[in-house]
Amino acid sequence: MARFIRWQGMVAFLVLSALVVVFGYFFAESLVKKALVSSAESAFGAEVNIAEVKLVYSPLQISVLGLQVTDKEVPTQNLFSFERATAGIDVWQYLFGKIIIDELEVSQLAFSSVRAQAGRVYADEQASDEGAQASLAEQAKDLLPEVDIKLPDVKTLLNDSNLLTVKASKQLQHSYKAEQVKLKALKAQLPNKAKMKSYQDKVKALGKMKVNSLADIEKIKTAFEQIKVEFKADQALVKKAKQQVLASKDLLAKHVTQLKNAPSKDWQQIEKTYQLESIDAEDFAHILFGEQARDHVQKAQWAYEKISPFLDNSQTEATANEVKTHTSGRFIFFKEESPLPSVLIKKALFSIQLAQGEVIVSGSELTHQHWLRGKNSLININSTANGELSLTSHFKLSQSGAFNAGGAWFVNDRWLSNTQLTKSKTLTLSLDKAQLSGKGTFSLSNNDISAANHLSLKQASFQGQANSKITQLLLATMKSLDSLTIDIGVNGELKKPKFTIASSLSNALTGAFKQQLAGKLTDFKDKVNKGLNEKLANALKLGDSQTAELLDLEALLTDTDKALADLKNSDIVKQQQKNLEDKLKNKAKDKLKDKLKNKFGDLFG
Amino acid sequence: MLTLLAKLFHALNSDSSIRQIALAIALGFVVGLSPILTLHNIVIIFFVLLIRVHLGSFILAVGLFSGMSYILSPVIVLVGESLLTHPALTDFFTSLYQLSLFKLAHWHHTYILGAFVLGLVLCVPVYFISKVLIEKYRLHIMTFFEKFRIVQTLKASKFYRLYSSFSGDTSLIKGAL
Repeated sequence: MARFIRWQGMVAFLVLSALVVVFGYFFAESLVKKALVSSAESAFGAEVNIAEVKLVYSPLQISVLGLQVTDKEVPTQNLFSFERATAGIDVWQYLFGKIIIDELEVSQLAFSSVRAQAGRVYADEQASDEGAQASLAEQAKDLLPEVDIKLPDVKTLLNDSNLLTVKASKQLQHSYKAEQVKLKALKAQLPNKAKMKSYQDKVKALGKMKVNSLADIEKIKTAFEQIKVEFKADQALVKKAKQQVLASKDLLAKHVTQLKNAPSKDWQQIEKTYQLESIDAEDFAHILFGEQARDHVQKAQWAYEKISPFLDNSQTEATANEVKTHTSGRFIFFKEESPLPSVLIKKALFSIQLAQGEVIVSGSELTHQHWLRGKNSLININSTANGELSLTSHFKLSQSGAFNAGGAWFVNDRWLSNTQLTKSKTLTLSLDKAQLSGKGTFSLSNNDISAANHLSLKQASFQGQANSKITQLLLATMKSLDSLTIDIGVNGELKKPKFTIASSLSNALTGAFKQQLAGKLTDFKDKVNKGLNEKLANALKLGDSQTAELLDLEALLTDTDKALADLKNSDIVKQQQKNLEDKLKNKAKDKLKDKLKNKFGDLFG
Repeated sequence: MLTLLAKLFHALNSDSSIRQIALAIALGFVVGLSPILTLHNIVIIFFVLLIRVHLGSFILAVGLFSGMSYILSPVIVLVGESLLTHPALTDFFTSLYQLSLFKLAHWHHTYILGAFVLGLVLCVPVYFISKVLIEKYRLHIMTFFEKFRIVQTLKASKFYRLYSSFSGDTSLIKGAL
């Protein structure tokens, strides 16, 4: 036995074990501190300082004192820092490869605190992402100069050949000319004064003809019938001309009506083209408060993107069927009677120091494997330092990877001060002070976000600078507001959420805009309408002479038609017949007289 | 380090049991593949200290194979991953997982299980290969190499003096030479 076993080895083993334990006892805190600094520096890409790490072994409790994480964007500031963080760890589960923290307490957590000296920056990851975020905010700000009041130049506007007034006047002139040509052609065919005179002379001559017999009457009748044929032909021409004049009058009247209506239609088009009536005040609510809302959503998105890889990992860890090769390996967890998540914080308490006062964040069941214990993670935020602030939220991840979260918040009488709303070339606006109240709900289902928030600002005081007319108006309106309500809705995909922002600012701005723009717009409208009416008047003036001409022609046609009708209906034949009859009667009378005279002469003479 | 190398050369050149040296190398191979402070490694170290194996060879083998395990880590993880995630073995590992000892040994970790299984499987060939190589060395290579001028130069060095102090028998060296 002694040939194979050296009993001194047992002693050596014990000594070695004791050395390891002693080494661990004396150097564990330094080793943990180095490990924490190293892993935090690689995670945050900047210098991380830890003042001290303390370990208590029964029960195992690790305390990290004075942690400062340099903000890699502003190395003179900390991304966050805290005075003390204490975590009670379940040793047995830790030895099994699980991190179960019964209670995590972080006190004096602060963001953006000033560092004693600038921290070193090691990495510059996500620069492009943050650039994209900045550009989004800049895009919102850049909207401001674009919506400045820019009314079009009146002269340019009136010279626009697409104006209906211009088109209608041109059309009217064209119609005048076309109708004039037609009427001239007809006028040339109509019997002129000389012809009418000759007709009258002819009729008169027939009336003066000496009639001695029926043959003479027949001769007059034949001659009159011949003249009547000419009258009829001329009457037909007059009728045609009358119809043409009527058609021309209708056409011209239609074009005149179109011309008269054109200026009002042109104005409507100008309003539509230059959006004079739709200078939408709601856009400013988007510009001013959308930036803040987008900022909050982007923070939520950033947090979700940071967490989501871990959530994805949870799916592969949960099922022992997926293969993923890592050089460092991973734990594979199998089913057990009372399963525990690989990472679980049963209770967490954060005391956060903000400029607005202390905020207490408490959490429970913080894990990424909620299905194992069937409990949701809860996070509550409370503060009573400045008014009342409360947020209750919950989230859970299912085994299939579905992520669901929701919550509600409310704020009562919380004083805000020096909050910058926007900063751009044309407008710098900040909230000097205001009393904030509000409430809202939110839910996140996988990548879809839905949130409804109502905010109310009282005793608000705004400060800022404006360089354009529209921003000056905006600033003046903001300054005049004592209270303000804002309703912000966020819906859709978390990466591309849609914001709906309604604010009492919209009404105030609409009123202010209308007031401010009223004079300017009225002046503009007057000038444009005056120009359009001048065009209309000129067009109508040009047509007046042509209309008079048309009326003259119409009168002429009426006269000619009447004269022709008179001549046509002349009773010259009847008159001559009567003359002949009278003549014959007189002749017979004279004969009878002579006969009687002779007879009486014979009788008495 | 020089002392350890000297001890190894002394063991190789002396009449220390070839099996003791080969077993030390094989056990060093198992320990070297896994992270040092794992349960199975502690047990192996206990046995290495308890049974008569050549400690110098064991320590050198652990150092050598630890370096090798860093290079072989993808293969080690792959072995552990394929075993732990193989559907046919799920029931087997689920029943083992109910034992605290299994979890305490971190055999549900892909790297540690991979290293342990590879170590166990390959330690037998490593033992026999080591044994053959030591035999060959003692018979042929040692004599062959000592003819070289560089070996004679080394004999004048500090390393050789250490080696001599551990061997304690210059006549043996002389004889070997």
